[in-house]
Amino acid sequence: MRRKNQDNKVAYAFILPWIIGFLCFTLFPIIFMVQQSLTNRKLNGVSKFIGLTNYKNMFRSSVFWNSLRVTIFFTIVMVVVTTIWAIIMALLLNSKQRFNGIFQFCYFLPSVVPTVALAYAFRTIFGKNAGLLNNILSMFAGRNIEVNWLYQQNTIYFVVFFITLFTYSTGQMMLIFRSGLSDVPKELYEASNLDGATFIQKFFHITLPMISPLILFNAVSGCVSALNGSFALLYPLTSENGDPNGSTQVLSLLIYKEAFSNMKVGYACALSVILFLVAAVFGGLIFAISKKTVYYED
Amino acid sequence: MESAHIKTHLHSLGMYVLKILVALIMFMPIIWILTGGFKTLTEFTTTANLFPAHPTTENYQYIFEHSNIWRYMANTFFLMFGATIGTLLSSALVAYPLARMDFTGKKVIFSIIVATMLIPNIALIIPQYIMFGKIGWLDSLLPMIVPAWFAYPYNVFLFRQFFRSIPKELDEAAIIDGCTRPQVFFKVIMPISKPTIVTIGILSCVFWWNELTQPVFYINSDKWRTMTIALMTSFMYTSGNAFVINWASIMAASTFMLVPPMLLYIFGSKYLVGGIKTTGLK
Repeated sequence: MRRKNQDNKVAYAFILPWIIGFLCFTLFPIIFMVQQSLTNRKLNGVSKFIGLTNYKNMFRSSVFWNSLRVTIFFTIVMVVVTTIWAIIMALLLNSKQRFNGIFQFCYFLPSVVPTVALAYAFRTIFGKNAGLLNNILSMFAGRNIEVNWLYQQNTIYFVVFFITLFTYSTGQMMLIFRSGLSDVPKELYEASNLDGATFIQKFFHITLPMISPLILFNAVSGCVSALNGSFALLYPLTSENGDPNGSTQVLSLLIYKEAFSNMKVGYACALSVILFLVAAVFGGLIFAISKKTVYYED
Repeated sequence: MESAHIKTHLHSLGMYVLKILVALIMFMPIIWILTGGFKTLTEFTTTANLFPAHPTTENYQYIFEHSNIWRYMANTFFLMFGATIGTLLSSALVAYPLARMDFTGKKVIFSIIVATMLIPNIALIIPQYIMFGKIGWLDSLLPMIVPAWFAYPYNVFLFRQFFRSIPKELDEAAIIDGCTRPQVFFKVIMPISKPTIVTIGILSCVFWWNELTQPVFYINSDKWRTMTIALMTSFMYTSGNAFVINWASIMAASTFMLVPPMLLYIFGSKYLVGGIKTTGLK
């Protein structure tokens, strides 16, 4: 009993940094955020209690509903697109051939490039007049193509999701899938070869079930990075207004705009509460889905 | 027999074609950045040449003459090392008892840590901004470096996964030999955790080197600017009524930003792949 007590003390001494960090930088900000969302706090610090007014205004604002829709859409599509692309790259690297080291270098390197540098590179690659993509398309089409990729509602999503293939989250997923794929027992494939299974059959009946716990992990961390990383990608790409016409204005951009351009910090706190809840719902949903579909080896 | 042989050859050729295609797509923005830095601004904004017609170093001169790039670099390095050393030390400390000791409340604490991994930092940045404003930390690197010394849930999780894979007898033997728990941690566990420390260290360095969001919220003045904010703000100027973005210089500065993460990857790729295995992310 005394031994256990002693151990408790030592263990909590080790954990102390996290306890302090959790209280100061997570729990307190959460409570403070909820409290401040009930005020009309301005950027200069002047504030007054106004009850639920921020929330009432928010639910009446079409900008907010648009932003919420964009956030949910962006998160879901980004997680799906980047996960599929990461699996494709991992599958390619998993086929043992020469130069795999070089290929992996090429596949992973973009993910350590600063998102802001990527955003600027793609702003010019997708540019209207001297953009690389328009030029390549013109070459193939044999006539001058001038698509304004970044400022058209029907092309901007293609651009944004294409860029997410180059973000850190995709590279990390690829490395995780790669190490998972190399652990799938070879005998499973050999047995299915004898049965004459096609590549597609093998993928859906062996590979996918074997890596399903990894897909869950990647989907969860992909969600957090989509909610978190969208700011660093979209702010330099489409500005705080989420051009064109707010079609890329995720909640984090709106929070920034309300707090720093419109100086309504209290309102930005109310938006933050919503973003917090969105993250919670996404986390819960993924775990609920995974309980039904993920295959765990005993 | 012969046709099966040809079939495998075709298959492997097809794989190469696919691999090269994907490599071209993935590497294209990097080539665009590298070559863009050597184009003149006119060439950059009027043509889409992949390689500059008349390579120039004027953009590199421009970024050194027209911005405090050395200061931004120094700030970024300071932020990167300050936050990384802090998170490595504190996260490993916190992970140790979670992986290798029995104590009251362990399950509850671990559940909270996993739950907080799901909170996107951006959701809490406004209350943190007000908080750091009250204690006078705004417009400095402190709001980013100090929290790193109090353990990041994600890194705690990675360290815990690795520590669990070390045989428990190691600790027990050391304790029988008269080591205290802190001694076990610093003299037994940390030395054999080098691959994991390097992995998490690289991930953290890359993260802070590339981080844009927090500096955008917390930093105002030129004095504490990091490279990422400099990229967004330092290479634009007004000429008459027009607002000019010096794209070619942005590409040159981006090239500078590419170098450290690239070196880290080359130096650490062996650890990164192995580290992901041992931390049992799967």
